[in-house]
Amino acid sequence: MAWRRNAVVAALVSLVLAAASPAHAQVKKPAARAGAASAAAAAPAVDYGEQFRTVCAACHGPNGRSDMPGVPVLAGQPSLYVITQLFLFREGRRHNDAMIALAKPMKDADLRGFSDYIGTLPPVPAPTPAAPPDAARMSKGQALAQQHKCLFCHGSDLAGGQQVPRIGGQKEDYVRATLQGFKSGERPGYTRAMTEALSQVPVEDLDVLAYFAANIRAP
Amino acid sequence: MHQSRLLSVIAAVALAATTAASAQEAEPGWAKGRPKTDTAMKMAPVPAFPIPTPVNELPTRKLKLPPGFKVETWASGVLDARELRQGAKGNIFVSTLFVGNKVYALPEKAVDGKREPKVIIDKTEQAAGIEFYKGSLYFATHKRIVRYDNVEDKLDNLGEPTKVLKDDLPGGSDHSWKYLRVHNDKLYFNIGAPCNICDPGDYAKIYSMKLDGSGVETVASGVRNTVGFDFDPKSGDLWFTNNGRDWLSEELPNDTLNHVTQPGKQHFGYPYCHQGNLPDPEFGWGKSCDDYAKPAALLGPHAGSLGLKFYTGKMFPAKYQGAMFIAIHGPWNRTKKYNGVYVAWPDGKGGAKVEPFMTGFIENNNYLGRPVDFLVMKDGSLLVSDDHAGAIYRISYAGK
Repeated sequence: MAWRRNAVVAALVSLVLAAASPAHAQVKKPAARAGAASAAAAAPAVDYGEQFRTVCAACHGPNGRSDMPGVPVLAGQPSLYVITQLFLFREGRRHNDAMIALAKPMKDADLRGFSDYIGTLPPVPAPTPAAPPDAARMSKGQALAQQHKCLFCHGSDLAGGQQVPRIGGQKEDYVRATLQGFKSGERPGYTRAMTEALSQVPVEDLDVLAYFAANIRAP
Repeated sequence: MHQSRLLSVIAAVALAATTAASAQEAEPGWAKGRPKTDTAMKMAPVPAFPIPTPVNELPTRKLKLPPGFKVETWASGVLDARELRQGAKGNIFVSTLFVGNKVYALPEKAVDGKREPKVIIDKTEQAAGIEFYKGSLYFATHKRIVRYDNVEDKLDNLGEPTKVLKDDLPGGSDHSWKYLRVHNDKLYFNIGAPCNICDPGDYAKIYSMKLDGSGVETVASGVRNTVGFDFDPKSGDLWFTNNGRDWLSEELPNDTLNHVTQPGKQHFGYPYCHQGNLPDPEFGWGKSCDDYAKPAALLGPHAGSLGLKFYTGKMFPAKYQGAMFIAIHGPWNRTKKYNGVYVAWPDGKGGAKVEPFMTGFIENNNYLGRPVDFLVMKDGSLLVSDDHAGAIYRISYAGK
């Protein structure tokens, strides 16, 4: 599976490079930002919805939710959160080879265009599981989310907002990996909010928190 | 204070702070004291936007100034532009804070109508504190202070610092970023409180040290977080802005402008007394505000008062000679936003008169720009950095 995904990503990277280059060809001159801005204004506007379907949808799904393991749900994410993450990928601070490769050639206008478009994708609930979530685990998760103040910023339904991501209904493996990454220091945030918030949370609570976030249902 | 003692005290404080934090379960330092209301729950420090505002969308034309003054965009595309300093050969150094992780150098004169920021330091957390003195760039993160000699001759490849002056700063993420000035061959720096409100130990002070990093001394105590200070060119006295505590209420306490009249001896109140007359609801019991140095002026509730610079140019009218400019970044800890560049005049009696100077950075209660720091250019014009829009503005005077 991994090799296949890498191949898909490699193909996509070349695609996005090709797709992005015409729009920016005339910006190459060393000249100026003012020149760049007016050139961009004069050029036909890039359709980031189309770009999303070409570049992002193969892994993330055309509606922002795919069934590919480990690939986060983009549907329902606030555009401000998305642009901070694209920025971290472009800067090489958040580690993911595929996303770094995609984000590296992006101009500021691309970061804004992709994040604005993704911000318009409505939330897509997780497919109904065969069995209902484990009630005991869910209530333990609820208590831990309360205790560790997750709900402070992510909201009581974990829907997020502004620079805070929607984690309610996010894929469990992705949430778990993210929490572990913040905890170990491997994953940097745009701010230090998550690193600080997790600094006092025991590692053994992370699994239950991920389970709770993934399975929470909108009230 | 003796350096080794300072170290052990800081270590002890850091340990105490960690222990206190564990007791409070995952509450970040800035959230301490936050009321449990929905409105307050949604407030948090606002990071700079990750991409600079395109030059044609900058708020420059919307900014309002006194008659005769003019503002123009001096540079754009300077992500997270914070502190400003100038080299002897003309280069303008610009630091960043949470987003940029960089220090830039910009040319004094535009090339093809544009000043391209050159990244001279990269991938460095809290790359905020900069000062230029006698050919060297002094550079402070939350963890250490270093010096690069002959910096303007090696902008293309700065390499490693010439000397590490101090590598035992406490770090952390609350009020740990630095502001630097050199005065009389001493380097001044701040160590802010490691929290919103707590017993800060040897944090919450302004320090000075010799240019080789030795001889650390306390200059002022009880300073929660200063992100701007300068020396009055007439008296040599230090003036500084101080960010007041969060969460007390929408209107209280004010940020303050302060005047150090007895270096090393004055305590400015934190965490016991705010804005000179408001005992802290937790730490203020049994304390009297009369026991602490009073502020010279109030700068507004949760103002985010940052850069401070005495005007030393000749271009502005006589009334601005000897005045200081103050950057009001604008509150995050307040539902109603305000900000701008203010100007303050010492009143000769220890106080100061403060007026707004440049406003217009806010639309529909949202920031279009947030001023941070200043630089007085050789021609007397004033540069203002804006970390929100990633821009630098130039204010000049052409009135009669």
